[in-house]
Amino acid sequence: MLRTRVIPTLLLRNESLVKTIKFGKYVYIGDPCNTVRIFNELEVDELIFLDITATVEGRAPNLEILADIANECFMPLGYGGGVKTFEQAKSIFQIGFEKIVINSHAIENPVFISELSKHFGNQAVIASIDVRKSFFGHYSVRTYSGKKKADIEPTLWARRLEELGAGEIIITSIGNEGTWSGYDIDLVKTITEAVSIPVVAHGGAGCLQDLSDAVKLAGASAVAAGSLFVFQKKDMGVLINYPTQDEQENLFGDI
Amino acid sequence: MITIIDYGMGNLGSVLNMFKRLNVPAKITSDADLIANSKKILLPGVGAFDNAMNSINNSGLREILDHKAIVERVHVLGICLGMQLLTRSSEEGECAGLGWVQASTYKFPPAAGLKVPHMGWNVVKPTRRSELTKELFDKSRFYFVHSYYVKVENENNSILKTHHGITFDSAIQNQNIYGAQFHPEKSHKFGMHLLKNFANL
Amino acid sequence: MLLDSNIKKVSLQVCSRCIYDERVNAITFDKDGVCNYCHQVENLKQQYGTGVEHGEATLNTFVEEIKQAGKGKKYNCIIGVSGGTDSSYLAYLVKEWGLRPLAVHYDNTWNSAIATQNIRNVLTALNIDLYTHVVDNKESDDIFKAFFYAGVAEIEAPTDLALAEVMYRAAWKYNVKYVLEGHSFVTEGITPVGRNYFDGKYIKAIHQRYGHRPMKTYPLMTFERFIWWSVMARIRKIRPFWYIDYNKESARKFLEREYNWQYYGGHHLENRMTAFFHGIYAPQKFKTDFRNNTLAALARNGKMDREEAWAEYNTPPKVENELLTYFKKRLGLSDDEYERVMNDVPRSWHEFPTSKKRFEKLRPLFAILAKGNFVPMSFYLKYCFPSKED
Repeated sequence: MLRTRVIPTLLLRNESLVKTIKFGKYVYIGDPCNTVRIFNELEVDELIFLDITATVEGRAPNLEILADIANECFMPLGYGGGVKTFEQAKSIFQIGFEKIVINSHAIENPVFISELSKHFGNQAVIASIDVRKSFFGHYSVRTYSGKKKADIEPTLWARRLEELGAGEIIITSIGNEGTWSGYDIDLVKTITEAVSIPVVAHGGAGCLQDLSDAVKLAGASAVAAGSLFVFQKKDMGVLINYPTQDEQENLFGDI
Repeated sequence: MITIIDYGMGNLGSVLNMFKRLNVPAKITSDADLIANSKKILLPGVGAFDNAMNSINNSGLREILDHKAIVERVHVLGICLGMQLLTRSSEEGECAGLGWVQASTYKFPPAAGLKVPHMGWNVVKPTRRSELTKELFDKSRFYFVHSYYVKVENENNSILKTHHGITFDSAIQNQNIYGAQFHPEKSHKFGMHLLKNFANL
Repeated sequence: MLLDSNIKKVSLQVCSRCIYDERVNAITFDKDGVCNYCHQVENLKQQYGTGVEHGEATLNTFVEEIKQAGKGKKYNCIIGVSGGTDSSYLAYLVKEWGLRPLAVHYDNTWNSAIATQNIRNVLTALNIDLYTHVVDNKESDDIFKAFFYAGVAEIEAPTDLALAEVMYRAAWKYNVKYVLEGHSFVTEGITPVGRNYFDGKYIKAIHQRYGHRPMKTYPLMTFERFIWWSVMARIRKIRPFWYIDYNKESARKFLEREYNWQYYGGHHLENRMTAFFHGIYAPQKFKTDFRNNTLAALARNGKMDREEAWAEYNTPPKVENELLTYFKKRLGLSDDEYERVMNDVPRSWHEFPTSKKRFEKLRPLFAILAKGNFVPMSFYLKYCFPSKED
C-alpha cells in the first residue's frame, strides 16, 4: 500500500536553517547538515529544502551546501529557490537531489517546467504555488516569497502547470504558514479537484490530526510541514521531531 | 569493489554515498577496461528507457556488459530504470532491453484514482527467498518512483512483489542478475540492508 | 597523560581514596594520603547535608519557596536540559515534587540525534514545555574556530556560558525566580581550579582577536549581565543533587525504562563539540583528560574500584569514527591547517583579558550571594579566590 508521504520542509537562509511566520519574521533552527542527520535518525520519508532568499536576492542556488546535505541523506530530497536555468537544475540533480521545486520562475517562464520535465521526467519537477487569501476570501497566487502578485487564479495555474509537465504540485497557504492553525482545507481541495497529479498540502499544520485532515478531507496525496517538525509546540522551543511509523499508520490508515 | 556503471543517467552520487556509509569499496566508471576487471556491477538508472538503452549501446560498453553478465556471470544489480533495462523490452520505448531476465516492462494501466507515477514509500512482499533480500526488516518499505512496472514470465525470477493498482515485481533475480525497482540508495536502513546483502554476495 | 594502567605500578602519588594524582592542580595529600579534593567534597557534603535529613529538609524548604514565589505564574522554576542523565532525571524529580518547570536548552547547532530524541522523549512524557535559544550556526562555528586558533583549552566555554545566560533570560521572560541545575559535586567532583577558566570577557576577547563574524545571536553573559541576574533580578540557583542522594547509574536505568531514553555511553556523543573536546582536543593538545573528574568521584564514593577507575582513566578515550572529519568540515579546516593549529603551542587563559581579578575583588559580595544561592557556591569557590599557577 503506497503510504502518504509526510515531508518536513526546511527553509534555508544563506547557510542556516530558519523558520518563518507568514513569510515574515524568522528564527534560527540550526545547522543544515546537522539537522538533516537528526531527520535521518528519525527515518523521515523525504525532505524539501527551500532557499527563501535566493529568488528575492536574484541569487543562484548554493551548490556547496546542497552537496553537503545530499551526502547526509538516504531518502529523497527536493530543492527549491532561485532555480532558473537548465544547467542549475542539472547540477542539483547531479548532486543527488531527486526533485526540483519551481515557484516564481514558472510564472515568468512557464516553458522551463516543460523543459525540465521532458529531460528529467515529470516526477522530478514539483511546481510550487503560494497563495494568499484576501480579507474577502479571495485566493491569489503570489511569487517572490509572497511579495509579488501573479495575474492568474490558483486552480487555473495548477491546471496549466500540469499541462506543462509538472509531476506534483505543492500548494502553500501563506496566511496559515507558521500559525499552527491547520491547513487551508478549502484551498487544498480546490487544487486536488482541479488536477490529476499528486498534490502536497503545505502551510499551517499544527498537529498530527491536521496531516490526516489534509488527506481525508482535502484529498492531498502528501503533506508537508515546517513548524510542526521543528518546534516542540506552538510558541515553544526548537526541537526536531517526526511521527513514528506507528503514528503514521494510525493517522492515515487505509488510504 | 562494486563497479557502478556510468552511462550518463542515474543518481550515481547517492549510490556511491550509501556504499561509503556501509564501508563497502565502490567506484563509478564508464571505462570499459575497468568494467572488464570488475567482480560486481551495479547498474543505476533514472529517466527514459530508450535514452538509457541508446546510451549504453552507443557508449561502447554493451559488449563488455553482456560478457560480464552472461558469460562471466558476475553479480549484477540493476536499480530503478536499471532493473527495467534488464528486461526484454518496455512499453515506454522502441529499443530492446538487455534481456538478461525473461521479463517485460509495462505501463501502469489507467485506473480511477491510481496516481502515476508510483511515487513514494511502499511495502514489499517476498515471493521467494533470495540472498539479496536475506533478513530484511519486518515491514520493510522502500522508495519507489516509476511510471512503468516489470512483470517476469517465470515466477521463479520474482523475489519481491509490491501492490499499486496492480501487483508487480519489485525485485527480480535470474541467477547472478538482480533487479530492484525501488531506490535502495534513498530508502534509509532498508536500502542499506539490501545493498549490504548485495555487497556480501 | 596516560600512565601505566595498573595503579600499583605507578611511581607518582595517587590519592588513597580517589584517583587524583600529584599532577592535579593545587593538590595536597594528608597523612593518610587522602587528597584535599576528597576533603573538599566531604566538607561540602557536611555543609549541605547531602543525602541526610538536614539536606532533604533544606531542599523541601526550597521546593515550598519555589511554589510560593511561583503562585499565579505559568512556570515556577527553570531547568536546563541537555538530553543527558542529570538534567533528564532532574526533570522527572521536579515534576514529582509538584513544581511547574520550564525546560531550557541552548543549541550550539552541534547536537546529535540522541540529545534531541532524549530531550523530546523525556519532556513529552513529563509534559514539560521547552524554551530554546538556537544560535546562528555560522556564528557558532566562528566562535569555536576563534577558540581553536587561540590555542586555549576552553573551547566548551561558549556553550556552557551561553546555557547559563539563556536560562537567566528564560527566567526573566517568564518572571521565574529559581533556576534548578543538575550539577552534583558528589558524582562529578569539583574541577580543580587554575587550569581552565572562563567568563564573558574572556569569550569576547578571544572572539574579537580570532573571530570574523559579528556576535549577533550568541547570548554573551557579560560581567554586567551576570551582576544584573544575580543581584538585581535576584534569580536563585539551586542544585538539588547537593542536598539529596543521587545515584547516577540507577537514574540511567530508570530513564531508559520509563522514557526510552538513550545513554550515549560516556563519550559525550550528545554534542559533537563536547565529544571533540573530551575525546581529541583536551587529551591531545593539553594532555588533560576530564574523565578523571567522574572516575575519581566514582572511586571516592565507592561506586567503582579504585584500581578499575585508574585503569580506565589511563586507557585512551574512544572517539567516534567521523568526529574529526566533521569537526574540520564544519570549521572549514584543511588537514594541514588542523595539524598546524593543533601542534601550535597551547595558550592559557592567563594570556587574555578576563574578569577574574574583578571576581576576586568582589569576594565579600559573592560570599553573600553564594550564601543566598544567588550564585552557586562552586562558582564562589572557583572564581573568587586567586588561582594557584600551574
